[in-house]
This record gives sequence, C-alpha cells and structure tokens, in this order.
Amino acid sequence: MQTWRIREPVMWLCEEITGNRKTYGMNLIGGVRRDITAAQKPKILEVVDRIEKEWLKVIDAIQGDTPLMMRLEGVGVLSHADAVDYCVTGPTARGSGVAIDSRVDHPYCAYDYLVPEKKVQKGCDNLARTLVRLEETLESIRLVRQGVQELPDGSIMANIPEEIPPGKEGVRVVEAPRGESVHYVLTGENNRPYRWKVRAPSYMNLASVPAMIMGQELADVPISIASYDPCFSCTERLEVVDRKRGAIRIYTNEELTELSREKTINRK
Amino acid sequence: MFMSKLKEALICLKAGRVTAAFPLGPEPHPPGDWYRGKIAVDVEKCIGCGGCANVCPARLIEITDDGPQRIIEYFLKRCTYCGRCAEVCPEDAIAMTREYQLATNLNDDLYIRTELYMGPCGRCGRCFKPASPLDKMMVTGFRNQSEGK
Ligand code: SF4
Ligand code: SF4
Repeated sequence: MQTWRIREPVMWLCEEITGNRKTYGMNLIGGVRRDITAAQKPKILEVVDRIEKEWLKVIDAIQGDTPLMMRLEGVGVLSHADAVDYCVTGPTARGSGVAIDSRVDHPYCAYDYLVPEKKVQKGCDNLARTLVRLEETLESIRLVRQGVQELPDGSIMANIPEEIPPGKEGVRVVEAPRGESVHYVLTGENNRPYRWKVRAPSYMNLASVPAMIMGQELADVPISIASYDPCFSCTERLEVVDRKRGAIRIYTNEELTELSREKTINRK
Repeated sequence: MFMSKLKEALICLKAGRVTAAFPLGPEPHPPGDWYRGKIAVDVEKCIGCGGCANVCPARLIEITDDGPQRIIEYFLKRCTYCGRCAEVCPEDAIAMTREYQLATNLNDDLYIRTELYMGPCGRCGRCFKPASPLDKMMVTGFRNQSEGK
C-alpha cells in the first residue's frame, strides 16, 4: 500500500497540469491543450525527487524480504520462447528477456531526445517482471526530470486550417506502462473518424497466462496473473473447472488470500 | 530478512496515518482552478450556436428545435469532463466548475436543459438568435434553465 501513497503526489501533479487525475484529455490533433507553466516546473522536479528517494527506500527494503522473494522467484515462468510466441509486450516481454520497447524501437513524440534505457531481465518469472517494473520506475523518473529541464518554449498547438480528408488511415504503436498500445484510425466525412480501433497491451499479455501458470499451485495463480498488471481489479474470485467431472468451484477473495497465506508460511 | 521487515516497518511508520476520513472530514486535496469538474451552463449568455454539441466527444449535448424554441439538453452522465465544450463556446456560456462529487443513481441529477428563443429567418426558416437589445428584452421571458427534470 505504501507504493500507492508514494504515487499520490504524481496524481495531484497530473491533475494540476491537465485538469484531471486520470482522464487527462490533453491531446488534440495538432498538439496539446495546456502548457506546463514556469511555476509548475520546480513543483514537478520537487515531487520527482521526493518519490525517487522514497522509491529507492522501498526497493532497498523489499530486496531482502525473503517471503516475498519466495513467492516471486521461479513462479509464473514465461519462457523466452513462449513470450515470443504469445507476442507479449512491455514489462511482461522484457521480464522474459525479449528486449522490445516501442519508445526505443520506433521513437515517436519526443523520444528522439529522451531515450529510455531498455530494462531487460532474463529471469522469466514473477520476480523478473517485478524487477523490470521497479527499475523502469526509476528510468521514468529520470526521463521526466530530463524532459522538464530540457523542455523547449514555443507553441503547443499547430494550426490546421483544412479539414482532414476522409478515407485516410493511420496506425501507431505507443509504449504504455503495460506494453504496446496500438491505435488505428480511418478518417471519415466532416472531420470525424469513421473507425477507431484500439489494441491494448493486456490483450496479448492476458493470452500468455495459461503458459505462465501451467502446472502451478492455485495459490500462485493470483500473483502470477497480477505480475503482468492486468486491469481487472474488481475480479477477486477464481472459478476452477474440473474438466474431467465438469465440476465448478468458485474461490472467493478470502479463500484465495488464505491459500496465499498458507503458501507463504509453508515456504519459510 | 529481519532487516528488510524492519525497513518496511520504518517506511510505514514514517508515513504515519495516510487515509483521510473523507467525505466525513475535510477535503484532503481540494481541486484548484485548473480543475475540470461538472459543467455549468449560463443560458443568459448562450446564443444556441451548437458549437458545444459539435465538439463534445461523448456526444451528450442534444439540440432540438421546436418552432422558434431551441432546446439544448446536456446528458451529463456520459460526460468525460474534457472541457472541450467550454473551450469552443464563443460566448463563454459554459464553465467547468470544481464540482466533483457527482456519484448518483439518478440520471436526472446529471441533466441540464436550456431553452432559448431563436428568431426564425424569414427566407430560409432556420433559427437564429435575435441580435438587437430590443429583441433581447422581448424574449427574456422565454428563457428557461433547469437542472434535473
Ligand atoms: S466536458 Fe467534454 S464530454 Fe462533457 S459535455 Fe463538455 S465536451 Fe462533452
Ligand atoms: S453553450 Fe456556447 S457553444 Fe453551446 S450552443 Fe450555447 S453559445 Fe453555442
């Protein structure tokens, strides 16, 4: 829970810069809607410095946490070959030694100037994916700092006097926190899109879960699924189907927590 | 291992109590003037141009003409608080307020309806807003705005 506390000032910053915590609504065709003011820059740097310090402390603390490491190490293994076969992206891929990052491989926006370092781990397990995320947080902090310091002045919005012609296609991959997010657009009449298709990274990452949890104990399933950071936070139960007998058993949140607890105790 | 547990405990202790008793207690982080909350429509300023309905990405602003009367309805349950309507309104009739406590199970709580008297053009029959101050005085009685039904 401490990580949420550390993150909170970032949400407040986002709100101040864009006007909302989550639905930023910043991008328009041609640019962005709000500029980062001179008064906001030192604020951003201050927050970034603070969370960096706190984050380093968290990393330092959990590295020696043997029960935690036991739950992560060697659990939820997604081999390099499987990662390639399932086309997983983002930290899930980088945790299995697949060095892809669309910010580096296909730079867009300002990523020609702000070059992130690919954080790759070869462990293929939950620990590897966790380590990738831990390190990427620090990398993001570095990028934010560099970005704010080197931000050029100038116009934030291009002037587009003409309507966008219909029937044109565009496709772009951007690196989201969970991996490659692909957007496709087909323009239509009256300056409006005719078709818009989004392929979120969890689409492929979710498909790799069967390979990840094959042959594992039930108690390790939630932590393995959580390791690719899916967005189904409201789903706190598990349905287990016995394929031979067709019997269905639903594990509730409490039962799952109990299973995980037992496992942690037994491993010690 | 004990070292790490100690370090983890220290992080927690140093943070102290973080959760606030909101909404019973004071707001932990009141929104500033940058905030985009629920929209407020000032029917006095609106000229019924339909610009807001044209740009709204959520398509929640509906315009219907009933004779010379132009009815603009805002079904705010679909609002994403992007603020585009306020940005394009030529008369600044829409403002983004700081109101954010909008959870409700009544659709009508998130509904604004404005009615505007438009003068129909003698030649094409389409509505336009009467421009002269005299006209304005004559039609003020038609203006009506309601929040919720
Ligand atoms: S804030 Fe955005 S979504 Fe809401 S009414 Fe205005 S344009 Fe539509
Ligand atoms: S609120 Fe503004 S943009 Fe919308 S119809 Fe009225 S004047 Fe036009």
